[in-house]
Amino acid sequence: MFKKLLATVVITATMATSALADVVLVVPQKPGSGTTVWTEIVAKELEPFLGEKITIKLIPGARDIPGFNKWHNELRFKDDHFMVSHGGNGVSFLQENVDYDYSQYESIGLMNLNIIAAIRADADKNKPSFSSGSGMVPEAFAMTLLICGPNKSVDEYVACFKENVTWVAGMKGSERRLAFKRGELAGTRENPAAFKKHAQPVIDAGDAELWFHHGILDAANARHNDDPNYPGYQLEILFEEKWGVAPSGDFYDAYVLVKSFRDGLQKAIWANKGNPNSAKLQDALRRMSQDAGAMANIAKKVGNYEWLIGADGDQQRDTLMTFVTEDALKNLVKFNTEALKLNSVYKEDLVK
Amino acid sequence: MEIFLAILAGTLYGLIIGIVPSAGATTGLVALFGFIGWFTAFDPYLGVIFVMAVVASSTTGDSFSGVLLGIPGANSAAATMVDGFPLALQGRATEALTAAIVCSTFNGLLWGTLTFALLPWYSNLIMIFGIPELWAFVMLALATVGFVSSKFWVRSIIAIVIGCFIGLIGMDPYTAADRYTFGWDYLADSVQIMPFVAGLFAVPEIVKGLMGSKTVATVKVSQKGQTWQGVKAVWEHKWDGLRGGFIGAFIGFLPGLGGAMSDWMAYGATTAANPNEKIPFGKGNIKGVIGPEGSNNAQKATSMIPTVLFGIPGASFAAIVMALFMYLDFELGTPDLVYDDRFFDSLFIGFMGATIAVCVICLVFTRWIAMITYIPYWVFGPLLLVFVTWACVQYTGGWEDYAIFILCSILGLSAKYFKFSRPAMLIGFILADRIESLSLQMFILYDIPKLLDRPIFLGLCVAVIGMFIYGVFFNKTRLNYS
Repeated sequence: MFKKLLATVVITATMATSALADVVLVVPQKPGSGTTVWTEIVAKELEPFLGEKITIKLIPGARDIPGFNKWHNELRFKDDHFMVSHGGNGVSFLQENVDYDYSQYESIGLMNLNIIAAIRADADKNKPSFSSGSGMVPEAFAMTLLICGPNKSVDEYVACFKENVTWVAGMKGSERRLAFKRGELAGTRENPAAFKKHAQPVIDAGDAELWFHHGILDAANARHNDDPNYPGYQLEILFEEKWGVAPSGDFYDAYVLVKSFRDGLQKAIWANKGNPNSAKLQDALRRMSQDAGAMANIAKKVGNYEWLIGADGDQQRDTLMTFVTEDALKNLVKFNTEALKLNSVYKEDLVK
Repeated sequence: MEIFLAILAGTLYGLIIGIVPSAGATTGLVALFGFIGWFTAFDPYLGVIFVMAVVASSTTGDSFSGVLLGIPGANSAAATMVDGFPLALQGRATEALTAAIVCSTFNGLLWGTLTFALLPWYSNLIMIFGIPELWAFVMLALATVGFVSSKFWVRSIIAIVIGCFIGLIGMDPYTAADRYTFGWDYLADSVQIMPFVAGLFAVPEIVKGLMGSKTVATVKVSQKGQTWQGVKAVWEHKWDGLRGGFIGAFIGFLPGLGGAMSDWMAYGATTAANPNEKIPFGKGNIKGVIGPEGSNNAQKATSMIPTVLFGIPGASFAAIVMALFMYLDFELGTPDLVYDDRFFDSLFIGFMGATIAVCVICLVFTRWIAMITYIPYWVFGPLLLVFVTWACVQYTGGWEDYAIFILCSILGLSAKYFKFSRPAMLIGFILADRIESLSLQMFILYDIPKLLDRPIFLGLCVAVIGMFIYGVFFNKTRLNYS
């Protein structure tokens, strides 16, 4: 009797998630998490243009990797299953043993955005405290470059970071924001929408100031441009102003690599290469992106970012892949493990 | 009319979710994602009312399974269960439930009014409580539960350590590497709260029920008249309820600390304030119900302060509320929202309306719901097990969910058999990552002179030491609850 009941529960739970869907968006997170909410908002706007029902299938797991792996290994071969990934997946792709591989997919569409950092007005910019974590790696690189200057070996940058930056472990996003507001933490960083909400009020109150941003990736030219919303604060511009030369070298290349994979793939929808339904979804997304009402609804909730759809998304991905060089990858892993104490592995196959 | 319907629908939904063992507000709110979008097309403010009604009513509803079955409806109701369940065993379920509901409602109304009426004023107050103060609060919660939940305090400490260890399974916050997973990838995302609570509390009670007594209540007593006795008990012990409410409100106000902690601190304060009781705590003392029940609705109300003002969730349920509100076009923590009077009215109406509605519904029907304690266990025991199992396998739906549920059940059965405090284990589990992260943050950002300069932190540390000394050397009224 109990076995039967248990079996019914299992079958119902498994089937209920995707049985009635025409299109299934797989999200590697729990309900209520950032990418889950983003997907719910976009799916709701996309549905009328697609003319089909979109169901969201959540496959949560550590660092949002198992869900993406499951899609890569099994679900991508189903023509109705598409993957929604985020910038953290991009960083994990570079430095963790994950199964997924962006080169095997085609882009339905992705959002390209920038991350902006703020610092407390009374803090010493050369001795900042900042929340740690794998999602903060580009910021660690950026502040190390700004503090330590040009023409140094990676070992010297590691030593300089250790000497000058207080890297505070174990803070969730909400704790980081509050600690910054309280003044316990010198710096913080946010995407543009969250920056307006959490950091800008502190700046407006005179308690903090804009620190730096990473710039917006221009896939066609494989370079990062200044953000028109925060002009003059791109890391490259600030570095040159402070040190008299443009940033370059092995350490800088590793920085470009990691910031590109995080911010350039901040929110992305993927299909398996050759999926016959890709064109249909790309077309719906394109029409949605041209609809002022739909875009206003999305912008209101998740911010107004550039959409790269279909071939443009593929180009973005291909540009990112050009940043993956042996030296850049090795230096990224070296800085991660030695300075940030992160569990990071060099993936030789990625370079090949 | 629409407002009334939204309150009623939210209240009934929340009540049902609250009553389901091991579920609670967070689970109920997660399930709303499927249809909350309906409100955006109709009237998003009604969605706010509905969500707040679910929050308020599920908190009251979760007392039922704790008192009637010895299984916390949500992890925050575990403290109520310590004296509530023994009262049910004595046939006084209606009295215990009525006391819980009335006390919960009163504090919900009191702190709901204070919260929503004075919301913008609190922003400066939150800034006073930094990382060291939060760390000291967590320590105080551990000390409280360690020394009041069992007379075997050494076993309580061991239970806390076991709970902490299980709570630390997953990702190392410093290195982002997997930790204590024994090579099982599933554990890299931590042991989920649902199977842990269900395994620790629900399964042992269900097994006991199925194997032992034919009904929950060992004595058959008329439920008639108990409603009034429950109301009277709240009036007689009003200071215990108010104290609990104050503690709950204060903990809720501090971001990230959560309900389980406030209930246990309220329970600990109740036992400490009543040292010479005829009926020992843990054996069915009604004050042990009133104290923690004063805390839970107050905590839910004040958790909305950091959530609404800063967009920083005051508790786990509040994180889901934030996401739901975002879906309804209300982005919490943004300056624009502070000027949206209708939004604040909706928060207020939803929470207060449901608090009153759930009280009326519960008081009317409690007498009959309490009859469940006279139903032979074999009738609803298997059904309960199915409910609990269903709740536990909603994470991935895979075999791993079942496996972890079974392992947690074995742990729960062992803890009960060997008299290790299960509430202490639960609080260790819940607070493990907070203990670790706050300790790391405090030692990285603060040195001794800086800490000595913080009077609230020092006061809390003195309280922790006092609790330890009292618990080890002077407390003669420790519970025998495992």
